[in-house]
Amino acid sequence: MASFDSSDSETLREQSNHKKRRKIGHHTAADHNSAAAAVPWRSDAEQRIYSRRLVEALRRTPLSPARPRAAGQVRETADRVLAVAARGRTRWSRAILARRRKLWTHHEKAKKAPRNGLKRTTERTNRLPAVQKKTRVLSRLVPGCQKISFPNLLEEAMDYISALEMQVRAMSAIAELLSAAEPRRPESPAAR
Amino acid sequence: MSTRRSRSRQQSRVSTEITDAQITDLVSKLQQLIPELRARRSDKVSASKVLQETCNYIKNLHREVDDLSDRLSQLLATTDSNSAQAAIIRSLLM
Repeated sequence: MASFDSSDSETLREQSNHKKRRKIGHHTAADHNSAAAAVPWRSDAEQRIYSRRLVEALRRTPLSPARPRAAGQVRETADRVLAVAARGRTRWSRAILARRRKLWTHHEKAKKAPRNGLKRTTERTNRLPAVQKKTRVLSRLVPGCQKISFPNLLEEAMDYISALEMQVRAMSAIAELLSAAEPRRPESPAAR
Repeated sequence: MSTRRSRSRQQSRVSTEITDAQITDLVSKLQQLIPELRARRSDKVSASKVLQETCNYIKNLHREVDDLSDRLSQLLATTDSNSAQAAIIRSLLM
């Protein structure tokens, strides 16, 4: 088989999923006019829905008595609920959801051919070693984006940043509500 | 599927070629998202700087989420579960 390019991996994923999804970098005339495909991370409604789902999910999660483990559980839950809110439109969100599903691991292993995603560009700047190095760092910070093209990486990063900002706003608000709701009790050994 | 690939090969000149202008546009859009760089003019900030600050910003956001997760895990452990959390969900619905 000839080497895969990034559009092939997308094809593979699209075939394995029943929902029809647009690649985030696939621009059509309609996209430029409407932001229909993008999730409104800045909207109050979106944050309220996320907060509610997060609290519900946390209530269902039996938290470990060990504090570091419990914090990890909260983080995982918060990330998962955030990824669901993305409605499958972005690679980073699908990667987060895939973390818990072994089915995806098999797909990852099947795609062994090297890809030139990051080099597929005409911009001279992108060939500078400094830019390439930072691009690689960025690709590791955004989930599931290590082998995609530079433009797609930037688009994923933008959406991911907006989502993370909402996550921070929502979790801060929930923490404030929880601190306010709980009258300060004297510390008892059983509480820890 | 070979048909999909051969079709994209024919269109490759149109659909997969990425222009310099597209890249510049994306980099400046990204710059607008980064608080550190928002105020500066796009032509004064290099792509390298934008990428650098983007990475820093995401790392900071991750750290904030970790801290908040820790704080929430503590609050959830000490809060009287049903009444306080029910009150919170109610207020989140409004």
